[in-house]
Amino acid sequence: MIQKHLPQKRGMIPSPHLLFRKRTEMFTHFLLLFFLFFSTVTLAQNTRISGKVTDKKGVPIPGVNVKIKGTSTGSATDADGIYSLNASRGGSSLVFSFVGYTSKEVPINGRTTIDVQLDEETTSLNEVVVVGYGTQQKKDLTGAVSVVKAADIQKRQATTVAEAMQGLATGVNIRGGGQPGSEANILIRGLKNLSGTNPLYVIDGLISTANRDFNPNDIESIQILKDASAAAIYGSRAANGVIIITTKKGKEGPMRIDFSGKSSLQTIPTYNLAGTDEFARLNNMAYDNAGVSRQKLDLTTNTDWQKEAFRTGSVNDYNLTFSGGSKDGSYLVSANYFGNKGTVISTKFDRYSLRVNTSGTKGIFRIGENIAISNSRSDEMSGNPIIDVVRLLPTIPVYNKANPGGYGYGDEAKARTFGTNPVAIADLEDRTNENLRIRGNLFSELQFLPYLKYRLNLGYETSSDHYSYLRKQGNWTLNQAFDPAIANENRATSSTQLIENTLSFNKVFKKHSLNIVAGQSYQKDEYAQINGTKRNLLVNPTGGYFNVLDQGNEPQTGGFRTRSDLISYFGRFEYNYDDRYLLNGVVRRDGTSRFGFGNQWGSYPSVSGAWKISNEKFFNSSWINDLKVRASYGTLGSSNIGPYDYIPLVNTFSTIAMGRDQHIESGATQVQLANTNLHWEKLIQQNYGFDASFLNHKLSLTAEYFIARTEDVLFGFPIAMTTGNDGGNPRVNGITLGNKGFEFTATYREDAGDFKYYATANLTTLNNNVISLGYNRNNTYVGNTVTQVGQPVGMWYVLQTDGIFQNADEVNSYKNAKGVTIQPNAKPGDIRFKDNNGDGQITNSDKVVVGSPWPNYEIGLNLGASYKGFDFSMNWFGAFGATVFNGPRSVMDRFDDNSNYRAGIQPWTPDNPNTNVPRAYYGTTLNSRGDTDRWLENGSFMRLKFVSIAYNIPKAIVNKIGFANAQISVSGQNLLTFTKYTGLDPEFLNASIFEKGYDYGAFPNVRMYSMGLQFGF
Amino acid sequence: MKKIKIAILLALLSTGFSACQDDLLDQPNPNTLTEQQFWKSESDAQQGINAAYAMFYKPGIWSRWMYFRLDLTSDEGFSKSPWIELGDWTRFQYINYNFWEGNSNTWRDTYKAIFRCNQVLDKVPSIQFTDSRKKDQILAQAKFLRALHYYYAAILWENVPLVLKTSTPEDLPKQNTLEEVWAQVIKDLTEASGALPGSWDDANVGRPTKGAAMALLGKVYMQQHDWQKAKSAFDYLVTGEGKGYYKLVDNFQDNFTHLNENNTESVFEIQFSDANKGADGDNTNASMGNTRAQFFAPRSIGWSDGQARNWIVAEFKKEKTADGKIDPRLRYTLFYPGLEADFGDKIYGRSWQWDADEAWFKKYSRDYYRNNEDYYSQVNERMIRYADILLLYAEALNELGQTGDAVKYVDMVRSRSKMLPLTTAYPETGTDKDKFRERLKIERELELCGESLRWVDLKRWGDLDVQSKVDVISQRDPDFKNFVPGKHNRLPIPQNEVENNINLKQNKGY
Repeated sequence: MIQKHLPQKRGMIPSPHLLFRKRTEMFTHFLLLFFLFFSTVTLAQNTRISGKVTDKKGVPIPGVNVKIKGTSTGSATDADGIYSLNASRGGSSLVFSFVGYTSKEVPINGRTTIDVQLDEETTSLNEVVVVGYGTQQKKDLTGAVSVVKAADIQKRQATTVAEAMQGLATGVNIRGGGQPGSEANILIRGLKNLSGTNPLYVIDGLISTANRDFNPNDIESIQILKDASAAAIYGSRAANGVIIITTKKGKEGPMRIDFSGKSSLQTIPTYNLAGTDEFARLNNMAYDNAGVSRQKLDLTTNTDWQKEAFRTGSVNDYNLTFSGGSKDGSYLVSANYFGNKGTVISTKFDRYSLRVNTSGTKGIFRIGENIAISNSRSDEMSGNPIIDVVRLLPTIPVYNKANPGGYGYGDEAKARTFGTNPVAIADLEDRTNENLRIRGNLFSELQFLPYLKYRLNLGYETSSDHYSYLRKQGNWTLNQAFDPAIANENRATSSTQLIENTLSFNKVFKKHSLNIVAGQSYQKDEYAQINGTKRNLLVNPTGGYFNVLDQGNEPQTGGFRTRSDLISYFGRFEYNYDDRYLLNGVVRRDGTSRFGFGNQWGSYPSVSGAWKISNEKFFNSSWINDLKVRASYGTLGSSNIGPYDYIPLVNTFSTIAMGRDQHIESGATQVQLANTNLHWEKLIQQNYGFDASFLNHKLSLTAEYFIARTEDVLFGFPIAMTTGNDGGNPRVNGITLGNKGFEFTATYREDAGDFKYYATANLTTLNNNVISLGYNRNNTYVGNTVTQVGQPVGMWYVLQTDGIFQNADEVNSYKNAKGVTIQPNAKPGDIRFKDNNGDGQITNSDKVVVGSPWPNYEIGLNLGASYKGFDFSMNWFGAFGATVFNGPRSVMDRFDDNSNYRAGIQPWTPDNPNTNVPRAYYGTTLNSRGDTDRWLENGSFMRLKFVSIAYNIPKAIVNKIGFANAQISVSGQNLLTFTKYTGLDPEFLNASIFEKGYDYGAFPNVRMYSMGLQFGF
Repeated sequence: MKKIKIAILLALLSTGFSACQDDLLDQPNPNTLTEQQFWKSESDAQQGINAAYAMFYKPGIWSRWMYFRLDLTSDEGFSKSPWIELGDWTRFQYINYNFWEGNSNTWRDTYKAIFRCNQVLDKVPSIQFTDSRKKDQILAQAKFLRALHYYYAAILWENVPLVLKTSTPEDLPKQNTLEEVWAQVIKDLTEASGALPGSWDDANVGRPTKGAAMALLGKVYMQQHDWQKAKSAFDYLVTGEGKGYYKLVDNFQDNFTHLNENNTESVFEIQFSDANKGADGDNTNASMGNTRAQFFAPRSIGWSDGQARNWIVAEFKKEKTADGKIDPRLRYTLFYPGLEADFGDKIYGRSWQWDADEAWFKKYSRDYYRNNEDYYSQVNERMIRYADILLLYAEALNELGQTGDAVKYVDMVRSRSKMLPLTTAYPETGTDKDKFRERLKIERELELCGESLRWVDLKRWGDLDVQSKVDVISQRDPDFKNFVPGKHNRLPIPQNEVENNINLKQNKGY
């Protein structure tokens, strides 16, 4: 609570009156403690008062302080808002207090059940944060934790939670999605780990993944643990941060039925490509310039391949939830259908999911479960239409009866390209992926003593995956090899078992509040797969093939299993002195089966503290309501590698033909090298931050600065090909990385009156640099990038272009210091490259570092307003300063090879010299070589990620038709983007850590227009 | 009551897994052997050497791209591929030295094969064998294969690092000169030839014989112009103790089909098979087939990424057989517009309309029994053929001043195709060393066209060393207009290897 002190000077001697008060306080505290102790052994004699604390909407509030007035007997509500305390000491009323809510005093009047509703205060600290094996109030946080409101996520139309969180939290970079059923990629506080950057998801205490099988509508709350001290309790897999998701629970009261439905249309951004006329003119020019006789272009055809491959997609998302409960139990049943027809032909995703969350209490015993069953099925994309629509020429018809399979594609005389016909491949290759997933946990708690609780948590997650592939006979590209009809099926089962025992101790001794958690967990992950393939399938006379593995011939089978185990011990203490000084300590010890003997165990301690300056007596400000500074130092281990990466294995799959009869013999050898001494990767992170709120909590600020060092990062450091290694670079503790960053969030909120509004701005800056590289290297080169000690990962390392030669004189006079003509074979209209090493020729040694793929800063801007029944909100997200490689343009803007061209492109000609595009020339890759700065662009952008207007139908009307509430909304996603980037989407994802800024034709974010309806009764 | 609670608590906690934690953390890989478990028995040694043979099936080398390097880069072949970059790598327009299909894949697979040989050479010596001769033969096979891969690495890049021990991930090997590489190849082959048998039993036909090692050894000496030592090595096959194993087959075509493999003309063959229809990696059911035909076949049958220069057709037609017919070798060497007219043969079962100046490689194609191609050609690649050795033997004799003796070996090859004796058709070649050499170049072309030998020959003959000779070649193959003597004689080393290995320097001129 906000403490208002009289002004007083530091060092003033307390008055005798004050001293006396302190003594009496101490005395009463002592007495109470005595009684408390006594009461615990004579439980039966006490009256127990319990109840539930909720907000105005009936949502339980965890962490509310409940005190008997005039005593220090107190308790706090649990995650479900339930409290209970002993009331034998004769207090007459209970005081409920919680940051962000107005305190409430309720007379006991002999009741044993007192449910209370608290009113919200206008403040930003009104959040309870689930921090892993417990909760904390946001005001008591000592580490870096972001909270994302479930409501903000559920407003958006997204397949996965990750996709929906974009721009809503500082330091959290999310890319990807767009395709039906595709998963987004999350990077928390920059690049720390190279072998899989996704954070750890903890859903209702189950370590899991919030993948596409998970229904985002079931979310009650999301917290992102960003620094090492906050995440430390999760130890070994928390190095990339932790996302804790709590799902919705039933609330006390009669059954409530809620429905929400959203329908959206999706469109995909498209290129502006040449039609047949423009294409023919440019193509002929390229052939003429090269002295090659022109193609016999089919000028009667003008195919818009983007129209053929792309379409308007749609999303339908329906949720129905039944929930309710009593004092002693609660239930929630939710059902969801999510269907997405993709923006690329022959792609879709369907998900059905069902969740049942229940819990019940009897005396000191509580039991509960959360279980979700989902079935997802996606019709996957074949080929890469994002590139294929560029590689195909407009003069090629979609269909051509003369070709096997009946589709049009390149032709030696008329259209020389190996581009893939997206319509053909969509038809001729069928890929579907279906997953049946059951994810849940069962927990029971024993509240031995008011301050001591034991919890057993049993988690289980299993997924049955079924992938099927059908190759129909027919071609999609020029001169394609003959393939018969092929069927492939792949079935797999994965499972995770988790057993956790935790003991928590929670007690207040006068001004000292102590919260201790100690626990142990065991987790087992297993995966097993079998697969089979048959060729020459039986043709079904009614169309298609009998695509079962009974049919066909030339069978192939395969299968494998993996297992890994993790044993952990952990403990945390939280100490709070007088609500002024906070100290947290965490230690976790993990043992993993992923390392060899001697390297399996690691221990990771963390410590953090905070000082709530605003609670000091000397602090007095009429306009600063809260001020807290905090600092943390934490260590974490990571073993984010495959289950057996440390073991050199023998590949037994070689077969050879031998002998007069050409019989088959088998062979075995080591193919992939391994580093046997793999050990824990270690993250060491310092975090400094402050939280403040001003102007009666209308303005709140949070700022954090962090310094992270990831030592011995486990990943496949590129090794020399002369080793003969294949099957991927072996994992090695191969790099030590430093990350420094600053995160800043400011919120202004005005809740008084009919017109309410808020604005939140967040800013993230991030700097990564390489401290050391594995195998004692100083640098490593991957593609067009170099990674050097002291520099960020994956800097662009290319040739520099220097305009275009306008005439022969310019070519001849382009000499180095010794007078050597640098590009003697160049012609007017060719690119001039910089001879950076001055040796008189253009070679790879002229490459230099020209830019960084990492943004300097990212900003998010969330605005909202409401007036009477109307709600308006919008989210902006922007990233600035990255240099990115436009892969699709390096295809469109080349004339050496046949692809379609960018509409309006102006290649250099003697008559049209004022252009930055070199002359069109068919047949050499010099001007269009891929390792130059010609393809690098400014990747900065600012985007309207989301905008919505909702109208809450007035209660009077709603009630008449029997509803409790009803809302209709319209919204849009990715509607506006401001950028100079000429590719489809500056917000693209490249999974290669060294080529983060390389847009190879990544699937773009789609635009969405949605209508939503929500009601409850 | 309190005691009961505590008892329950303790009971629950002790159901934890601390007791057996170390067992749980020791999870063996259930899928395959560890390297430690392997290399223990004779059978392991046999498996190990077999895996080295499987490298012939990898696209970086002998199931695909090697033919682009050797056949298309030479003046026999070229590329009209719509994939321009792929074509650029057959016409000395090397821009991106990391181009996988043109360079890096071949480099990687070469060293991948060497890694397998090195494993055998390091691990097998300590394995107990009941018959030590068998052990020696396994080691000798590994040495032969290692020498073979270094031989081609020397042809392609020249200054390659010699990796002779089982690799570890941190290795950054030192660069070696071409001379050093040749010396190592000679050492391996000399050692191998001491242990390899003259011939194998039926079950092992296809493994290198002593003759294969001597033939390859002779080829190495030929490239070094050490004619005397080359002749001595070839003596084994032509006049020495191995003579009885080798004889030209009557039917020229038998050298290029799956119908008469491992015949008396074969000195060393890659044993291809279509039994597996998998991908080309190291997984189950990996392909054992050759994809050359799929990449070289005429348009619409295959990718047609490589084709033959038409001057070869004209060269064939310059001399008729003894009975006045077209050289029958043309019929089995090339697909060309006049093939149906000249010999009555359809191509892949049909008639074609081609430009008059076009041709495709027919050797190793399967149009003799099917109308399409795929990625799984089973036709064995005759890597070293006795006809090649006879012509090389003749070349060595000629260079040693024994031109008269050389003629009969050329005639052995000519007479099989019903060509007149050399000195009848070209009388001056019997005594004139230079004229013999020039004629021999043509004889090699007519007999061996499309067998991945021409690039090696051009290098050996010195025809790539000076501009004036390159100018002559570029009249029949305009791609050579891009050729810079002293530079394009060898490929650039993949740029990433040079950048990431401080011990490597890029080849001169790149």
